Amino acid sequence: MKFLLALCSILLIATASHAGDLSVSVRDAAGRPVKDAVVTVHPASGVPRGPIRFSWPLRMTQQDIQFDPYVLVVPVGGTVSFPNLDRVRHQVYSFSRGNRFEIELFGRDQTRTHTFASVGIAALGCNIHDQMLAYIRVVDTPWAAKTGTNGDVTLSAVPAGGATLRVWHPRLAGRGNEGSRAITVTSSAGRQTFTGDFSARASVR
Amino acid sequence: MTFKRLQTKLTVLYMGLFGVTLLMVAVAVVTAVANSARGVVRDELAASGEVYEQIWDSRSDQLRQGASVLAQDYGFREALATGDEATVRSALDNLRNRQGVDGAMILATDGYLTSTGVSPVDAEIDVLWNGLDQAGVEAGVLTLEGQAYQAVAAPIMAPVLIGWVVFVERLDDAQMRNLESLSAIPLSASVMSRSPSGWGNGSEAQPMLRGAIESGLASANAVPVTTRTASGPAMVLAKALPNFDDNQPSVLVLTYPMAAAMKPYSPLFIALGVIALIGAAILAAGTYFLTRDITRPISVLDNAVQRLQQGDHVEVAITSQDEIGRLAHSFNGMAGDIRDREARLTHMALHDQESGLPNRLWLEGEASADTAAWVILLGIDRFEVMRNAIGYESMAQMMTALGARLVALSNGSAIARVGAGALGLVVKAADEDQALTIAQTLCASAEAPVKLSGTTVDVSLTAGVAFCGAQPGGVDSAVDRAAIALDQARTSRQRASLFDAVTYGDPGDNLSLISNLMSALKNGDVWVAYQPKYDLRAGVINGAEALMRWRDPARGFVSPDLFIGMAEETGQIRPLTEWVIRQAIKDQRVLAKAGYDMTLSVNVSGRLLSDESFAAFALGKVAAANAKLCFEITETAVIDNPKVALSIIDRFAAAGIAVSIDDYGSGLSSLAYLKQIRADELKIDKSFVLPLDTSSRDGLLVKSTIDLAHSLGLKVTAEGVETATALALLQGMGCDLAQGYFIARPMPIADLIVRLGEPAVPVSGRDETPGVKPATRAA
Repeated sequence: MKFLLALCSILLIATASHAGDLSVSVRDAAGRPVKDAVVTVHPASGVPRGPIRFSWPLRMTQQDIQFDPYVLVVPVGGTVSFPNLDRVRHQVYSFSRGNRFEIELFGRDQTRTHTFASVGIAALGCNIHDQMLAYIRVVDTPWAAKTGTNGDVTLSAVPAGGATLRVWHPRLAGRGNEGSRAITVTSSAGRQTFTGDFSARASVR
Repeated sequence: MTFKRLQTKLTVLYMGLFGVTLLMVAVAVVTAVANSARGVVRDELAASGEVYEQIWDSRSDQLRQGASVLAQDYGFREALATGDEATVRSALDNLRNRQGVDGAMILATDGYLTSTGVSPVDAEIDVLWNGLDQAGVEAGVLTLEGQAYQAVAAPIMAPVLIGWVVFVERLDDAQMRNLESLSAIPLSASVMSRSPSGWGNGSEAQPMLRGAIESGLASANAVPVTTRTASGPAMVLAKALPNFDDNQPSVLVLTYPMAAAMKPYSPLFIALGVIALIGAAILAAGTYFLTRDITRPISVLDNAVQRLQQGDHVEVAITSQDEIGRLAHSFNGMAGDIRDREARLTHMALHDQESGLPNRLWLEGEASADTAAWVILLGIDRFEVMRNAIGYESMAQMMTALGARLVALSNGSAIARVGAGALGLVVKAADEDQALTIAQTLCASAEAPVKLSGTTVDVSLTAGVAFCGAQPGGVDSAVDRAAIALDQARTSRQRASLFDAVTYGDPGDNLSLISNLMSALKNGDVWVAYQPKYDLRAGVINGAEALMRWRDPARGFVSPDLFIGMAEETGQIRPLTEWVIRQAIKDQRVLAKAGYDMTLSVNVSGRLLSDESFAAFALGKVAAANAKLCFEITETAVIDNPKVALSIIDRFAAAGIAVSIDDYGSGLSSLAYLKQIRADELKIDKSFVLPLDTSSRDGLLVKSTIDLAHSLGLKVTAEGVETATALALLQGMGCDLAQGYFIARPMPIADLIVRLGEPAVPVSGRDETPGVKPATRAA
């Protein structure tokens, strides 16, 4: 079923002819690659209707008293599972606007889920372990991904034409830790480089 | 420094050495004590600084824990994150009350602030925000409403940072007093911040501490420094405290006045001072008594030397056998020697070595000792002749013998040998007659021949007598007066004579006379008067004699006899004569202009005739002016140095200067000189001419002299012609020229010119009365 859905969406994208891959490199002021930066593209023509599917699992594991991954990109309305692989219990919470939730203490090998209904950021913490911190970026576009350790990310089949490129990172200086720019996507493979100041403090409300 | 007394010197020296030692000890003690006190204070300040740092840290921890309790509370965080302000505020109040802090604040990352206990204004919130957000300060000094607070912030993580809980505690006096009470020394502590007006605590600025604070801030490890404060020098430790405001650093300032540090030692210093004073007093007294024993014999010797110097006879008591004792012994010996030598010298000074009789000095002493007595000087007549006859030695014997004989007659008065041939004694007499009688008696006693080694010698004595008391006449010494009296007695051929001041005159006045004369020459008080010479054959006046006249402003008219004689004696006659020659040459020119060609005669002193340079002057002047002069020379003058004088006279004659023999007939007239001198004229002395009217004997002498002169080829001038009779007689005798009051008195050149215009000889009606004596004779 999933596979079928995925296939359908690919087909849907493919059918929208004149689309190309867009590579985005995120660099800090010193030119170093920035990891875990979430890149999103909103074409001027709008995003297709229907649920959004990503290639990565919507899962926030708690292991070794840490969240994993540090940054998770989730489509709006997506349900994220929170499996606890530690022997201790955690109490995961988020005070972030629109995505406030609290998962009461749960133990090892227990999994809880939460559905993120609002586009935005949810800063995740554990009420028991202060050092635990992770971010869930809730997006409303299928063209979204986070950079790897090389600071690069490739978005496939972005429709050609005008679009808004957005980069978010917990330490990116700017309103809501976000930076954006208008781009023009071509049908062939495109390339964008985003350079910003990544020394700011995360500000999440 | 000079000391009059050895004792003072020693005392001062010892006191000085003691003082220096004491001073060094005092300096050492004070320095050591001060260093030690400073060390104690420094350590205590450093320790207090450490203590405060710990207090600060522990207080910070305490506050931070309190704030953290709130910051980490889940419900609180949720309330804050969700904007539940009422809950947040109540939680803050609750915790503040629980913790008992002065104030609490929540500062959200978006700038939202809520506070309790304190009410910060915007600028203060900015400072806090900047300190937290930019500088990352979590604990430090925060100034709110001018009051310093210790502020500690705890971050609120939800889970990212959404704000801070800030607890503030007032840094007030109570806290400082607490810190002060922890210290072992009573230091004073305060927290100061830098404000535009300088470093201070609140409003009171402390400008004097600035240096200490800046140096404390500059070094990582603050050390106490000594600085000046309003209350004297103090040791100051400035420890930097963290501050939320970078521009307004804060320090903890610990001060301790050095005066307080030194205070415990003041009893020690006082004791030291008292010991020094007592020591100095003991030393002064000890030195005084010790040196007195040493210096007393020296003082005695010093006194003795001074008295010896004043002529006293002194002997020092010998009290010890040491160097000073030996010195005293030597001094006594020396003083004795000096005494003996002095006595010998005195005897020698007062006695005649040849005869053993007292000498003139002794007699002077005797004479001045008794002003009511008389001095009699007895001179041996014809002493030189006698001495040459019998020899020096016999003469000395004779003086001794005479002395012995006179002593027997003199009522016990000692006889002194006043000069080679003079004896003297002081006698008592009621009046001058009695004194003269005594003198005559003494002279008579010498009449008996004196026996000298078998033969007898006849001696005659002349006596001079003078009163010992004050007498007029300008001679102070009675012995001198007696000597003058002796001369006067011999001159007047008397056996004994009293000193006659009137006859003696005052030779001292003459010297000033000469100096007055020399200045009179310059300022015109001396002039030349001319006495015409009348040519008996031609019946005209054809010559004049130049005579010096002097009217002194003080003395009045001074007799030429006096000042010319004096000038001859003192050697001033030459400038005088040269002056007259110059004047005569000048006046001769004046006469020539008036139409009178006449020879002018100038008196030339015999002394000048042996003066080659005078001769050269006279010859030069006469030759230069082509003057017609006649030099009138007294023939006695030639006697001085006949050879030179005659040759000079010859040169005068050769140069056309007429030479006249003046005052012929008086004095030692010698035919031998008449023979030798190549003279042109002979002037018969007025003493022969004046009595011509009455004395036929003088007439004969004049007549024969005229004849003698004529036969030698000389013209004859008669001086002192005062009557017509005398003039007629002289004319009859064949005299050539006449000069005298009958013809004319000496007169100034202007009068002479007038006189030359009148008849040469007065008519009989104008004949002057013979016997009117001139006041002075022409020189």
